[in-house]
Order: sequence, then C-alpha cells, then structure tokens
Amino acid sequence: SLAHSGRGFDLTRADADLAVSIKKATSMEETAPKRKHVRSCIVYTWDHRSSAAFWASLKIQPVLADEVQTFKALIMVHRVLQEGHPSALREAQGQISWIETCARGTHGEGSKGYGPLIREYVDFLLSKLRFHKNHPEFNGTFEYEEYVSLKTIDDPNEGYETISDLMNLQDQINSFQRLIFSHFRHGSSNECRISSLVALVHESYGIYKFVTSMLRAMHATTNSDEALEPLRIRYEAQHHRLVKFYDECANLRYLTSLISIPKLPLDPPDLFKDDDDEAAPSL
Amino acid sequence: MSKSIVRSIKNVTNGYTSAQVKSRNATSNDPWGPSGGEMDEIAQLTFDDATLFEIMDIIDKRLNDKGKNWRHVMKALVLLDYCLHVGSENVVRWAKDNLYIIKTLREFQYIDEEGRDQGVNIRTKAKELTLLLHDDERIRTERANRNFMRDKMGRPGDDM
Repeated sequence: SLAHSGRGFDLTRADADLAVSIKKATSMEETAPKRKHVRSCIVYTWDHRSSAAFWASLKIQPVLADEVQTFKALIMVHRVLQEGHPSALREAQGQISWIETCARGTHGEGSKGYGPLIREYVDFLLSKLRFHKNHPEFNGTFEYEEYVSLKTIDDPNEGYETISDLMNLQDQINSFQRLIFSHFRHGSSNECRISSLVALVHESYGIYKFVTSMLRAMHATTNSDEALEPLRIRYEAQHHRLVKFYDECANLRYLTSLISIPKLPLDPPDLFKDDDDEAAPSL
Repeated sequence: MSKSIVRSIKNVTNGYTSAQVKSRNATSNDPWGPSGGEMDEIAQLTFDDATLFEIMDIIDKRLNDKGKNWRHVMKALVLLDYCLHVGSENVVRWAKDNLYIIKTLREFQYIDEEGRDQGVNIRTKAKELTLLLHDDERIRTERANRNFMRDKMGRPGDDM
C-alpha cells in the first residue's frame, strides 16, 4: 500500500530520537515545551501506529522531581492524546496511574506556583480519558465528523447523554483555564503557563462545534423542545463563557503568535435553525 | 564554497536520482523559487510510480526539517500543493495517508536571529492544505479546473 511506504525511517534511530525529543520537551526551563519536540512525539505515534514507546520513554525521565518539568510533561501528554495516532488515546487508558502520580508529588502551591495547576491538569486529563473510553467515536481534538451527529439522530437518548458528557468536559476546561489565568505572575512572561492554553483552546472549540451541530440535529429531528431545554440553557451559558475565554486569550500576544483564536458571535447561534453557513471557521 | 555547489556534491555522494535532485533543488534554502516550470516537471514525474516514491521521499524529508531550514519546509508545502493539483492521484493519496505530517505543521514555529517570525507562512499554508485534504469535492474540482486551464494555456515554462 501507499501508506507510509513513502516514509522510510530507521527504527533504532527513531527510538533514540524520540527519547531526545521527550527530554527536550520536558526540560527544566520555565518555557513552553518546544513545538518541534512535541511534534516529533506526535509524528512518532503515527509512524509506528502506537504510543507504547512514547510512554515507556517518558516514564524513565525524571520529570516528577520538578514542578515545571511535570507541568510540561502534562502539556506534552495532552498534545499527544489530541494529535497522536488514535492508538495513543486507547493506550493512555493503561497509563492512568502514572498520570495520577504526577499530582501526588505536589504539595500546596509549590515553590513556582505550579502545584494547583498540575493537580487540575491531572483531573482534567483523567476526565478526558474517561470520556474517550465511553465515546470511542471521537478523536482527540473533537474534530467534526459527520457520522457522529448522524448517529445522534438515530438514538436521541444516547445523543442527550453524549452532549451532557461533552458539556461536562467543557465545564472542566473552563475551570482549568480560569485557574491558569489566576496563576499568572507579575514580572514573568508566563510563557509556560500560557502554552498550556493552546491545547485548551483547540479542545474547547472542537467540543463547541460538535455540541452546536449535535444540538441542531436533535432540534431538527426530535420535536421535543421542552426535553431539550436544559441542554439549551447550559449551551447558552457555555457559549458566553467561551466568548470571554477567547477574548482573554486574544489579549495574550504570545498566544496569538502561536495559534489563531476562534471568534464567536456575541450571542449564541439559534439552535432551531439548521444553518451550516453559520458553522464557525476551522482553526 | 557556494551552497549550490555543496548541494550538487551531496546529490552525487548521497546517490540521489534525477527526480530527487530536481525535488531537492526546488525545495532548497535559496531565497527564490521554486519556479512554475520546475514544479511542473516534478508533478509530471509523479505519474510514474517509481519516481513518485522518490519525490515523496524528498518532500517528506523536507517537511520534517528543523526550524533553521524553514525554507525547506515552506517550499516542500508549495511543491506538494502544486503536485496535489496537477500531479498524479497518488500524490493526493500520499498526502491523505500522511496528513498528520501536514496537520502538525499548523503550529510550526521559527523566529530567526533578527526576531522575524518565519513560521507564519508555513502555518498558513499547512492550514490551507489541511482544509483542502479534508474536502474531496474541492480537490476534484480544483484538479479538474487546473487540467482544463493547462490544456487551454499550455504548461508553465512552455514556449507557446
């Protein structure tokens, strides 16, 4: 087959390179994990259709000894779960106890103030993994796939549950981002903290687009506006919180130099209207 | 020693084929190019399976190059874009199979010694190509239009 035959990589060399990438991405410097090293880890999981070597290599790095390194490791893990080969999401289910260990080593604020951020990140990643275990049809960044919303229409009850679960995850992203903003330090570039927002912007927007299209599909097919009212109220509240989150992100010059921040309309879109033109642009 | 001389020495010592030499030249660190004629010649070579793999191998290496060689990355995206439009269907298949290579470049970063953000054009191009590769209908029409224009206008670099 054509797949991958164009990518002639040397296996032993690739494993050595992976270890170097992980080490560099989780260095002690209080900076963002460098994208090129994180990208190498992501690409590795696709080249080998597995994240086993990524985890094996990460676990022998001394990242738990230092709070900045731990935080950077969690950012890197999050990006690999999001953008890595689908097997990375499945295989991470077996790494939950290691992820929990990251939180166990922290006490109080920590000398650089990463303690609460690490604990919240661990909580969030565990919720994310639980979600993906229950809903294997979603990919790591919740990129819009038509078949998922079509499935919802066939089974409104399951659709209702899925939307609630997505909204729970969205709430957790929201409280995590607020915690990150509240931990910015004066006189610091806050680059390391801000870099953790990149994954949260991608993920919250993916969830938002999914929920919007699923709720529209539910409204168009079920004719039970009353039953859907609790979801509608929650959707509107989440919309307003997202607008505020993206506004605050748009003010961080370091962040806007890395990614484009989604621009949502001030008011939530009309869920009774089946209007795909209103679909938000992709990032 | 000039860079182009170093490149031609590397071409010989690394045993690159002529399709690979063409692809390497089109995606070099020179601040100009690739030209339409250069890209067109390479796109035509993708219709032969043997040269297709040789070319995709060079494009793949260039796409995964380090920040300092951001021109390699940028030009490889430009060449890939061109081949997606006028090259063989197999280029489209290769790009879809290896989509993660392109997608992960949407956050490519490189700030040069003078503080200029050299990654911005790569990020934009990677986003464009990702969108295109998700849209089969658009690929079909754009390929059809390009081939129609080419029949009418001739190939770039042709003496009309």
